[in-house]
Amino acid sequence: MSDHYIFLMGKYEAQIPKDRLYAPSHMWFRAEGAAYRVGFTAFAVRLLQDVYFLDWTVEPGAVVTAKQEIGEVESSKAVSTLHAPSDGTLLRFNRELMKDPTAINVDNYGAGWLFDFDPKDALLLTAEDYIRRLEGTWDETQRQIKGQMND
Amino acid sequence: MTTNRITVVLSQTRSKNPGKRRLEEDIATALLLEPGIEFAVTPNVYDLSPGDTGLLYLNSVRGHLVLLSWQYPRAAHWLLDRNGISGKQGVTMLKSLGAEDDEEGGDENEERGIGPVETLDRYIFCLDLRAYDDASVYVDEIKRIAKEASVKLVPLTGLLTVSNQGDSKPDLFQRFSDLEKKGAGPIALGESKALRWYPVIDYSRCTNCLECIDFCLFGVYGIDHKDRILVENQDNCKRGCPACSRVCPENAIIFPEHKTPAIAGAPGEGPGGLKIDLSKLFGAPSAIELAAMERDVELVKDGRAAVGLSVGIPLRQAGKAATEKDDLDKLMDELDSLDI
Repeated sequence: MSDHYIFLMGKYEAQIPKDRLYAPSHMWFRAEGAAYRVGFTAFAVRLLQDVYFLDWTVEPGAVVTAKQEIGEVESSKAVSTLHAPSDGTLLRFNRELMKDPTAINVDNYGAGWLFDFDPKDALLLTAEDYIRRLEGTWDETQRQIKGQMND
Repeated sequence: MTTNRITVVLSQTRSKNPGKRRLEEDIATALLLEPGIEFAVTPNVYDLSPGDTGLLYLNSVRGHLVLLSWQYPRAAHWLLDRNGISGKQGVTMLKSLGAEDDEEGGDENEERGIGPVETLDRYIFCLDLRAYDDASVYVDEIKRIAKEASVKLVPLTGLLTVSNQGDSKPDLFQRFSDLEKKGAGPIALGESKALRWYPVIDYSRCTNCLECIDFCLFGVYGIDHKDRILVENQDNCKRGCPACSRVCPENAIIFPEHKTPAIAGAPGEGPGGLKIDLSKLFGAPSAIELAAMERDVELVKDGRAAVGLSVGIPLRQAGKAATEKDDLDKLMDELDSLDI
């Protein structure tokens, strides 16, 4: 049995590993000590494509609330604000990415991790639930993007 | 004073940025020597209150006006309008920040909006000082406008009024003229002000739907005797809170000093526009949620109860369902070829 699920985005196969949990905002959570290591899912990276720039607008150690703006990412296809996946504490950021964010594209499930996070009451999804969610929202997501392309 | 003079007013930056200050000084130096141009400097017009020298002066100008400011031209124009300084929007050759190659949306919006109450028959040119680093770009454009004003635009009544009213100008105006004659440098209209924060309505976009008055719980908005929306109590507005701008369906509410271009009066509709915005996918609250969150923060600060999404939330979001049914899964592959 495979260690990941596949979600098809056009011809692209986004891999969703089964060894971790997921937030609906397309971030993976892997237990790291008492907290979690967090990064972009393959789905997110596929939409972003080449990441040029990553910036955090809160300090390490910051207590954040769900949906609070915590940073910004710029890539070849998109520019987006990033938001806290749930209430919690942002323990530390991946400093390597500040120098060079390419690890996000090269190894998004490993060296391209974004930050360590201690969530409070986070509602995390299993890989299976995340895939189901992607399937449920994929048409809408594409419509959202398409709407912006046609503007 | 001749009839074809134009007035140029420079609205200073709030910032101490030496580069910005230098640009202002370079422009001032060049324009003071320029015949046919009346030149004055004021603190950021956004921070002025009625009765402040800068606004009195701007109100006394009846002819064509050029405003140089560190804001989007749309923000600057409607900021002047709000202060009773009206005119038709002059067409400048300079680009503004955030402007696309061709802005076609503007005309449609103008037809949708209820328009300003009354407009003086003259042109106001708002130039965005953030667009170029080089003072000569602005000086050349102002010379071009001045030249055009003296040739084509002269028959406008606004210009004639200037000469007619020449004798009855307020004292303060006379004082500035004297200053100028003595070569005392640019006419400086007042000291820098406390920073203010309030919305400015773009009436070329506003449809008078009144959603802002329902949404704002701080009594900033009111309606005039013609039932038109207006910013009635601007100082009730909560510093940093742009929530009403987010709920406005026409993007007609401008906070000229907000960091988000779409809120600060950038041309066009959405923020950025150049690239696809994936913020929603990464957990960004919707504009309505964000507006409600911002409003709650201010309510709580005032010792009032947060109301969340329970008060004054427009229902228009419902029914904005999918409008197109097409081959969506090709999109990802199309994205690759998209030249952005």
